[in-house]
Amino acid sequence: MTVQDKKTAADTATRADALGIAGLGLAIGSGEDAVPLLDGVTVRVGRGETVGLVGESGSGKSLTARSALGMFPRGARATGSVTVGGVDVLAAGRAALRDLRRTRASMIFQDPRAAINPVRRVGDYLTEGLRARGVPSREAAATALDLLEQVGIRDPRGALRRHPHEFSGGMLQRVVIAGALSTGPELLLADEPTTALDVTTQAEVIGLLKGMQRTRGTGMLFVTHDLDLAAAICDRVYVMYAGRIVEEAAGTALFSAPAHPYTKALLEASPSVHGDRTEIRAIRGRPRSLAEAPSGCAFRDRCPLADDDCAVAVPAVRAHGTSAVACVRPEEVTR
Amino acid sequence: MTSEPVLAVSSLVKRFGDVTAVDGVGFELMPGASLGIVGESGSGKTTTARILAGLDAPTSGTVLLDGEPVTGRSRRARLRRARLLQMIFQDPYGSFDPRQSIAASIAEPMRLHLPGTAADRRARVAELLDQVGLSERAGASLPRDLSGGQRQRAAIARALGIRPRVLVLDEAVAALDVSIQAQILTLLDGLRRDTGIAYVFVSHDLAVVRHITDTAVVMRHGRIVERGDTERILREPRHPYTRLLLDSIPVPGWDLDRVARDRRALDPSS
Ligand SMILES: Nc1ncnc2c1ncn2[C@@H]1O[C@H](COP(=O)(O)OP(=O)(O)OP(=O)(O)O)[C@@H](O)[C@H]1O
Ligand SMILES: Nc1ncnc2c1ncn2[C@@H]1O[C@H](COP(=O)(O)OP(=O)(O)OP(=O)(O)O)[C@@H](O)[C@H]1O
Ligand code: SF4
Ligand SMILES: [Mg+2]
Ligand SMILES: [Mg+2]
Repeated sequence: MTVQDKKTAADTATRADALGIAGLGLAIGSGEDAVPLLDGVTVRVGRGETVGLVGESGSGKSLTARSALGMFPRGARATGSVTVGGVDVLAAGRAALRDLRRTRASMIFQDPRAAINPVRRVGDYLTEGLRARGVPSREAAATALDLLEQVGIRDPRGALRRHPHEFSGGMLQRVVIAGALSTGPELLLADEPTTALDVTTQAEVIGLLKGMQRTRGTGMLFVTHDLDLAAAICDRVYVMYAGRIVEEAAGTALFSAPAHPYTKALLEASPSVHGDRTEIRAIRGRPRSLAEAPSGCAFRDRCPLADDDCAVAVPAVRAHGTSAVACVRPEEVTR
Repeated sequence: MTSEPVLAVSSLVKRFGDVTAVDGVGFELMPGASLGIVGESGSGKTTTARILAGLDAPTSGTVLLDGEPVTGRSRRARLRRARLLQMIFQDPYGSFDPRQSIAASIAEPMRLHLPGTAADRRARVAELLDQVGLSERAGASLPRDLSGGQRQRAAIARALGIRPRVLVLDEAVAALDVSIQAQILTLLDGLRRDTGIAYVFVSHDLAVVRHITDTAVVMRHGRIVERGDTERILREPRHPYTRLLLDSIPVPGWDLDRVARDRRALDPSS
């Protein structure tokens, strides 16, 4: 990507999008010993849009989501561009990044207990972001109370005085969501926010997240390894494999018309509770990180459609049906 | 062909102080059958599984294996139980000796339970590794050098070595990637078909339970609230909790309001 392209991508993102990641590459170290982690990752989240990022472990989902906050592994070098609500994240200094995390973008993680300081009261946790922005503490407390009510915490006034260990995992994740939304961000980064929860609690937390997001017009990047969940709640979904995006599709199209052999293989490997009971088909081998992946198409050592031409180069992204797909023969992928 | 259950559990109760983790659980498992145990976190699934495997003693109730009670913690009682029933955990890492090769760990239960020479055991280990799809090289590795999926295969191989009649699996595929999970499920399907082993399959994932079991019980607060053919439970759930569980599964056009209604129907106070 040339400097000229990069600038244009950043400018376009400024006006329309909550998040614009374009051609993001990430590597640790340099020269011969460099370990590549991400390559050419392009992800867009429009305002108010819910966008899924799915893939198996090690595919680069968390690295991609964290890049939006300028959080990179130690010693990592980033190329490409990352823009959040008009802020150029890769060029931003410490103060600008702190400001970004405080006002424009919030993150929710899998384990709410890791996100909250265990010795501080929930009330302090919820008001710190606001007070840091100069909101008077009385007003911040009123906002926190209101938020706890909105996320369905019983006795919100009492909850303000309680400590994290006094909440169940599902209730604490609600508190974290309240905290993430307290600053009115344009972008919410949700990294497997319901993976540790029971299915019934997951459904409630998702209902809450979607409701809050809809009323506030917040853009959401939803990271998950659960294809069903992504397809059920996302407007668009990106599928990652070995540090790259291999498919972008509308949430609904993912199931009816997978365009990448990997997406199709994932669907065939997943048992389902819906419809007739069908056989599952295992994918041979195991998922790989970018550093371990074969040259050319990273999926070729596991792909049933692989042939010599797949080894030549990393497949370019092309349009196929309503999807964009990085494969040389998407027309042979049928469900 | 026998028509006696290989495992029969009745009126199982387990209390931890004030907490009643398991409250009157009972079920039967026929040879070669597969029973699912589903339910929310804290509903008593693992406690039940641990009692079956003899890792916890029940407060009251009985467990019959092959028609005989398996209570008591004497060496003889433990050996008899282990011979008939083996357990697989979510992450078997902790159950492998970190300094011992995978092959040596797989041979261990055979050394304890079966007659035979070291050479016999080596031959059987090779056969088991092959059966679960592990290479000889993986067999020579230490546990930490295997991936999660490979370790789970190794745990299955170790459990199968003494040809138990029942395998109790507690969230055995929960930590695995979809593609690896499918490999393990396919392996388990094949083993049951080929050896007639029976499964008690504990999982919070209804899709996986549908795939791997014939019948299931749904647990809530230590009790079984619904039981029956797995397909029937999924198609016509009778208990409000089962209904909530099913409506909570994401699907295109997911009706999240319905989940909220189910929740209110179940706990009118909230
Ligand atoms: N700080 C780091 N230093 C070196 N390598 C890293 C670092 N963080 C992540 N990686 C590597 O980058 C790859 C992608 O990691 P990432 O955490 O983004 O995966 P993921 O898709 O979120 O996986 P999971 O589903 O397991 O959370 C992995 O191979 C991982 O080992
Ligand atoms: N050793 C113990 N001491 C005290 N309480 C325990 C102990 N083991 C389990 N419990 C309690 O018993 C109940 C049932 O726990 P159990 O682990 O059987 O649930 P589970 O259905 O396996 O849940 P999960 O889906 O989270 O694994 C819980 O309330 C738990 O806190
Ligand atoms: S490029 Fe080739 S190997 Fe890669 S997904 Fe497409 S067909 Fe398979
Ligand atoms: Mg991750
Ligand atoms: Mg458990």
